[in-house]
Amino acid sequence: MMLDVRHRTHYRYQNPAVFSQHLLRLTPGAAPGQRVAITHVTITPEPENLDSHTDMFGNTVHVATVSRPHETLEIVATSRVDRATPEGMIFDTSSPWEHTKATALGLGNLSPVAELGPFAFPSQMTAGDAAIEAYTRESFSPGRPVLAAAEELTHRIFKDFAYTPGATSADTLPVDSFAKKEGVCQDFAHVMLAGLRALRVPARYVSGYLRTQPPEGKARLQGADASHAWVSVWDPAFGWVDFDPTNDCVPGQDHVALAHGRDYSDVSPVAGVVVGAGAQRLTVGVDVTAAGEA
Amino acid sequence: MLHLTNAQEAIGTALSDGYSVAPGRHDEAMTADGGLRAHWRGLADWLTAVGGQGYGAAAEDLGRLRTESGLAFAARDTATGPVSDALPVILAPDDWAKLERGIEQRAALADAAITDVYTDRRTLAAGLVPPGLIYGGASFAAHCAAWERPPRHWAHVYEADVARTADGEWVILSDRLDTPLGDGWLLANRIATTQAYADLFVDLGVRRLATHYSAFQAHLDQMMGWEGRLVLLTAGEHDPRFFSHAYFARYLDAALVEPADLTVREGAAFVKTLGGLRRVDVMLRGVPDAEVDALHRPGRAAFGAPALSLAARSGSLKIVNAIGCAAFAYRALAPYAHRLAQHLLGEELLLSDAPCLWLGGDRAREQVLGKPEDWLIEPLTGIRPEHDQLLSGQTQSQSQGQGQSQSQGRDQSAEILARTGERYCATQMPELATTPTWTPEGIFPKPWIMRVFAGRTAEGWRVAPGGVASTLEPGQRPANLGFGKDVWVLPDDAAQGRKSQAAGLMTQQFSSGHLRRTGRDLLSRVADELFWLGRNAERAEAVLRILSVCLGRYLGANRTDADPEVLSFLAEAYAAPDEDLSGKARYRDAIERLTSKANEPSGVQRIIATLRSGGLRARASISAESWRYIERLCSDRRWQTVGPMRQNANMARLIEDSLQELAAFAGSAQENLTRNFAWRFLELGRRIERAMQIAHMAETLAEKVAASEETYLRAWLTLSDSESAYRSRYMMTAQPAAVIDLLVLDESNPRALAYQLVALERVLSEMPSEIPYRRAEHRRALALLTELRLMDADVLGRNDDEDGLKAFAERCQEDLAEISNLIGRAYFAHADAPEAMLVQARAFPDEGGAQ
Repeated sequence: MMLDVRHRTHYRYQNPAVFSQHLLRLTPGAAPGQRVAITHVTITPEPENLDSHTDMFGNTVHVATVSRPHETLEIVATSRVDRATPEGMIFDTSSPWEHTKATALGLGNLSPVAELGPFAFPSQMTAGDAAIEAYTRESFSPGRPVLAAAEELTHRIFKDFAYTPGATSADTLPVDSFAKKEGVCQDFAHVMLAGLRALRVPARYVSGYLRTQPPEGKARLQGADASHAWVSVWDPAFGWVDFDPTNDCVPGQDHVALAHGRDYSDVSPVAGVVVGAGAQRLTVGVDVTAAGEA
Repeated sequence: MLHLTNAQEAIGTALSDGYSVAPGRHDEAMTADGGLRAHWRGLADWLTAVGGQGYGAAAEDLGRLRTESGLAFAARDTATGPVSDALPVILAPDDWAKLERGIEQRAALADAAITDVYTDRRTLAAGLVPPGLIYGGASFAAHCAAWERPPRHWAHVYEADVARTADGEWVILSDRLDTPLGDGWLLANRIATTQAYADLFVDLGVRRLATHYSAFQAHLDQMMGWEGRLVLLTAGEHDPRFFSHAYFARYLDAALVEPADLTVREGAAFVKTLGGLRRVDVMLRGVPDAEVDALHRPGRAAFGAPALSLAARSGSLKIVNAIGCAAFAYRALAPYAHRLAQHLLGEELLLSDAPCLWLGGDRAREQVLGKPEDWLIEPLTGIRPEHDQLLSGQTQSQSQGQGQSQSQGRDQSAEILARTGERYCATQMPELATTPTWTPEGIFPKPWIMRVFAGRTAEGWRVAPGGVASTLEPGQRPANLGFGKDVWVLPDDAAQGRKSQAAGLMTQQFSSGHLRRTGRDLLSRVADELFWLGRNAERAEAVLRILSVCLGRYLGANRTDADPEVLSFLAEAYAAPDEDLSGKARYRDAIERLTSKANEPSGVQRIIATLRSGGLRARASISAESWRYIERLCSDRRWQTVGPMRQNANMARLIEDSLQELAAFAGSAQENLTRNFAWRFLELGRRIERAMQIAHMAETLAEKVAASEETYLRAWLTLSDSESAYRSRYMMTAQPAAVIDLLVLDESNPRALAYQLVALERVLSEMPSEIPYRRAEHRRALALLTELRLMDADVLGRNDDEDGLKAFAERCQEDLAEISNLIGRAYFAHADAPEAMLVQARAFPDEGGAQ
């Protein structure tokens, strides 16, 4: 399925900003089941300087500098991405989760250690506690295949947590959203990561988009036309496998992966520093459509 | 000179009842059988010769010199930190050589390990270090990993805390890699010690530090390239390391900058100066990893200099030490140092570490929790993890003591360690060797440790011959680096050393320095600080003068002048009026608040505090002499002990003394600052503030002047130091028009308003400008001056309409405030604090994400 993504971020400042510098992670890359045909970022006013580089997680990062006075800033990222239907994976054939853990801790096969290391330990935004760990262990019983356990955990978070926009904020920690059993996609991803990493099972945070066109006869998916987030879990044979606890599914044709990292702070789509702006007003809009449809 | 072979006698005869070393414990000065070690002979002889008095004199000199350099560079408690005795620690050449080789190897090892984890990660893939050691905490800088062109070296400076164990071996206590730059302490300490012990130091031929630092400087020069610019980044005067930063920056002739002074454009770092942005080539980093680059460390870093890592990534900026070094700082290298040395350097590790267990593994955790009393749990990389409960719990349970809480605490520790043990380590302080230490009761052997300093040179890593030592009671934690016992390394061949010593002391390095242009740019921030220093000095003078007038009248004989109502009125030009009081009580209350209350907005205490911290920040751009006057005024103990209502001759003298310091400051700034930008900003601040203060008094007194109240007219003349000028000119009692002419309109009276405006206009006309016409602040000043020039003293004196004194004085103050703002906008643009962008709301259809 070929999807078109348009992600518009608009800032309006109270006073003209004399200088601003932005870190943008708005460029999707190739991923399992994902091919990027076209991708482009446009910034208005045109920045004096626009650099791009690849971060250690493989994401394309832009850094834009605007050093003329400006009252508004608009960032539009457009991409055309080809998504494949997920292959039918038999999760029961994955490795016991303890095996994955041992590999991540450098106690087994050493070749993937450097790749897994960053994702095996609680980060600042995925710090867990006894409650999250106990909750996770209900699915991660001894010897259970890691992907089967992850699939069940995905399902349980979907079932046990209420999708409540506004109940949490961008810097809510998983211990808090877990206690409340509510939040949005970012919170569910952080809770799941906190659980997995409490067990030292390597897992990544994935930022992306979700198309909301409801397929015939099915309910409308939550998180419509939105920045979305889910989780990717590692298995020695399958590699990284995605799970979406917000929608209880394995991301496929309607998902577009944007960036990978340890938690939200590694992948936040637009971050930056502005001088002299006073109060800011932020508007964000995302459209995901089948190519040619809109 | 006595010739004794027994240390006990040598030292004992001179100073103490006995110096006895614990059996089986290495002592720096005394052998196990009670003999004096040969390399302590010189000091022992000297002590015997000069006795307690001689030592006392040297110690006093040392204390004074430390205080002076502390005041000169940081103006505060540097010298009152952990105070050590004045006896140096003396090390024999072979002893030092062993340590030196070990430290050189250690620095190379640290650099190799850091390089590896940010590039190839061979150490991880080969299983040399467990991934949790690197990725388990927050010290790994992900934004500095996997660069296409990584820095050739990550560490260029290295410091270690080292100890000598009771059996005489050197061990590493910690690696200081994130923000070393404690060299300022070492250098300042050494300069003070050499001066206090001049002859002894030269006679012993102690190895000098200058050779090491000139080699290090050559390395920096090479990194900078021709005409390169060197800066030292500090978090500012509130940072406990500020003294060392300021001192070392001066020593290396680097510009001392704060994060807000820097900006990154087109992949290069620039410092904001009055002449515009200037590229920085090498930055000595005195701010921790986690606190620079707000783009990549949102929420933790200062907002100044966002994107700093990108300037390093492009190769344009070299950072000493590179961002990312924190990953192996403090104790992170210790648990695997042996293996890493074998694999990364192909060498056996020369110096062992003090016992240190990484708590990322089950076995280490069990070992430590099984015998918690033997271990101290510490953050692995020296940075306390966020939301840490373990270390705070540790100190709590220590103070709580016995009982149930202890086992409870243990369970809690076990849980935290199971969850995030990777971030912690458990350490033991080995039993330490001792060194002679002076106490009032005599000289005793005390356990000691020291900080040593290494830097990269053209020949590889080199160690400064010396160190900062401190004594450590059993169970005590090492304090932050500060002034300590100087460590003297004796030369291989004493005779040769002595010859080279004759060349002189290291102070010469200072005066000659390096002639580089780097330190000469005037930072926008510093211009701002000088401007406010000028304003604050004038503000201080204004309130001191009103106090002087009030006290003079109070203590004087004239009954009209000393009338409580008159005095209250005058004092309330600065003190907030208290309408509940009247008569003498009201006056006394106002004076008391002005002199002793820290919360009185225009009071002396508040103003002194502002003046001091402002002076401190501007310290680098004013002369040592100018600074001394400010410091002397601000640290005058008499102001700190002003009690309630001490209106006597002592207070009057204190005020006079303070006014004299201010006059001396003004004079020395006039004399010593070349008429460059720095001087202009100080002058602008001074003129604006003095003009404002005159206008403020004019406004306050306008009605009294119009009513010809003679006592107020005279007060105004006294306040303006213009009584004699008035008398010689008019030879009559004070008349409104005449007083106004002298204090407002007279362009030749340095205390008159007109004089300030003329000076202000002149300086503004000389300021740099990119536009062909006059700048806004200049136009405004010119307009105000012209208006004043067209004024008529008689009309002003009548004070009955728009042209009256009061109305004009009010307008004048408004205009001056506006000129001050315009100057700020034109030259100190950085004053706008950078802010974080709003975080991308996680756009949801029902969360305001609509377009």
